[in-house]
Amino acid sequence: MELLLKGGILYDPAAGWAGPAEILIRENKVEAVSGSPLTVDVPVVNLQGKVVLPGLIDMHVHLREPGEEGKETIASGCAAAVAGGFTSLACMANTSPPADNKTVISYIQERVRKTGLARVYPLGTISKGLQGQELSNMWELASEGVKGFSDDGRPVMDSGLMLKAMQYALSLGLPIISHCEDLTIAEDGVVHAGPAGYRLGLPAIRPAAEAAMVARDLLLQEEVGGKLHFAHISSKKSVALLKWAAKRDVPFTAEVTPHHLFLTEEAVEHFSTDAKMNPPLREEADQKALLEALQEGLIGVIATDHAPHTRQDKEKDFLAAPFGVVGLETALPLVITLLLSKGLISWEQLVEFFSIAPSRILNIPGGTLAPGSAADLVVIDLQEERRVEKDNFYSRGRNTPFQGWTLKGFPVLTMVDGDIKMLSGRVKGFSPDFADILDAAMEKGYI
Amino acid sequence: MFPGNLLSIEDLSVPAMDEIFERAAYYKAKDRGANFTALKGKNIVLSFWEPSTRTRVSFELAARKLGGNVIDLRPDQNSEKKGESLEDTVRTLGSLGANALVYRHKVPGLFGKIAGLVDFPLINGGEGCYQHPTQALLDIFTLKEAGVVLSGLEVVMAGDILHSRVARSHFLALPAYGARMTLVGPPAFLPPELVPPGMGYSYSLDDVLPRGDVLYLLRVQTERHRRLFSSSAEYAAMYGLNEKRLAALKEKTFVMHPGPVNLGVELSRGALHVLEKVYPEKILIQKQVQNGVYVRMAVLDLVISGRMMA
Repeated sequence: MELLLKGGILYDPAAGWAGPAEILIRENKVEAVSGSPLTVDVPVVNLQGKVVLPGLIDMHVHLREPGEEGKETIASGCAAAVAGGFTSLACMANTSPPADNKTVISYIQERVRKTGLARVYPLGTISKGLQGQELSNMWELASEGVKGFSDDGRPVMDSGLMLKAMQYALSLGLPIISHCEDLTIAEDGVVHAGPAGYRLGLPAIRPAAEAAMVARDLLLQEEVGGKLHFAHISSKKSVALLKWAAKRDVPFTAEVTPHHLFLTEEAVEHFSTDAKMNPPLREEADQKALLEALQEGLIGVIATDHAPHTRQDKEKDFLAAPFGVVGLETALPLVITLLLSKGLISWEQLVEFFSIAPSRILNIPGGTLAPGSAADLVVIDLQEERRVEKDNFYSRGRNTPFQGWTLKGFPVLTMVDGDIKMLSGRVKGFSPDFADILDAAMEKGYI
Repeated sequence: MFPGNLLSIEDLSVPAMDEIFERAAYYKAKDRGANFTALKGKNIVLSFWEPSTRTRVSFELAARKLGGNVIDLRPDQNSEKKGESLEDTVRTLGSLGANALVYRHKVPGLFGKIAGLVDFPLINGGEGCYQHPTQALLDIFTLKEAGVVLSGLEVVMAGDILHSRVARSHFLALPAYGARMTLVGPPAFLPPELVPPGMGYSYSLDDVLPRGDVLYLLRVQTERHRRLFSSSAEYAAMYGLNEKRLAALKEKTFVMHPGPVNLGVELSRGALHVLEKVYPEKILIQKQVQNGVYVRMAVLDLVISGRMMA
């Protein structure tokens, strides 16, 4: 595809760009970025002041395929991703069967190719069968293309096994992504150990269940080195440990989810299972610590932990319903509305958290639109305001705690590899009127 | 003003509770030889998904004394095995003519979701670790009956607060009447985050025993304390009411328990014996059981008739 995007405001901190830009896309790549008008004979789309960012990367997604296609498929998950402005994602290995062998990895890659929407980087398991007993064949997984290892959904309870996994991953140059939860502390907990959960008489998970394992992993990491990434940090106690480790120059990266940034345990009021997630929603003081850690760069990534479930799963009672919420289609508008527009983070930080940092951690393309880069980008309309309506999601999962929230600032165009995959909320191959909308926009020459 | 359901003490204002107590006192006074008809022609379904003797029998007696038909639905998980949801079961009861459903279930929150979907009242007979409103009501009724002034009353509640639905109902009911509560139990049963704002707590029974006008002992389930203590004797030594601790009680301290008592754990045989023989007016456990019937008569009457008026 050849295309000239005019009239956009580009934020590309990796290339040192912040301001009006004309972006020339040719042969799937960014050919030129210019502050002055480019004269080339290619189709032009005028963005009329909309914001252009390098494509977003979500490094924590549960696509559920193979095995739980009722919850999500690779196709529906990728549609949700591009609808939400994401051009790349890393999918967690806790599928059924788990991604602990190259057959599953190549199956996922094949489905991704057939879907043809977002780039998907499968993660491999740390332990065989997610059992936490023996290491998976990490070299085999790496040679099949996995970009990291995680047993996410479950912690690696055996500290010795975790140590060996970190050493193994070091030799392969790949990150370990740690789901921190000491199960002997968490027991059968389903909510945060705070006033709201206790009031409802629900079994609780104290912050120490997470922090104890964050501490363990940091101590191991200090001795091993390599790449250690903490998934879904949720509590101020864990943040304090990260601060401690940063002072000691222990190498680590960490992510926070939109739901932990924007919700507290109060959301479980009325036993709402859409607020049941692991780690659980905590308290205002935790929210504050997470935001500060993000602003200071201690936590460098925003990831969704997109965890779709069927309606039937989530209609179970609070004890029996599975943990998890969807996030791909709400993450960007939430962060724009509640952080960026309030001046709590800059565009540069937003791009760092959503694109640069994940591309660096996983060592995957993205994070910039500098000439020569893959043409993965998202266009955002800051004036678009609407309510979150779960029934309009492309994801099969409707389990969002943000239903009905009014947000302002939505992605209106997502391009992957030079190809427009989403335009005005329509997804290529999913929305019957996608081609019409795209043709109309190309004809008019603006969106 | 009367709520359509009784799921939690939250559903009740102080005037609504007063109305229940007034009605319960009336039923108690007229009980002998009277022929009540408040629930004549009404079908009261009792559905206890968790084992219960006293609460179920208490509700059954209450309904029968008011002339109601009692349908004792004993869930054997058959419907659940067939894949029938709780919601379907409850809706079916409505179609069959239920005028009220008294439920007990180990999972909290299930019936709150169903309450809005059916057109007959639901009454909580014990829900997980969440609420047991009629227990709190009958406790307060019993205290009032014993001539206790609730405003400024010091209630020491001891035991497994964490897993107690009775405690959570009292967190709302007793303070509504101006009573103060102090919670006491082992730290594993008493996380500070659980303690409502303004309420005191302690990990030492001996420290707080002397301050109570009422000592409310909670049942400690053996399978729970076994995980925390090496033996029941250890628990009893630290948190049980024994003869030695009786001496530390205030002259007029009342002793209450929602039952059934684990003798030798939260209450020693010796202490129970002394209380029953020497200070029978102090121990309210049997009165609680007796009053349970009248309070539940009042609840059934008011909730069912309140719904009819609405």
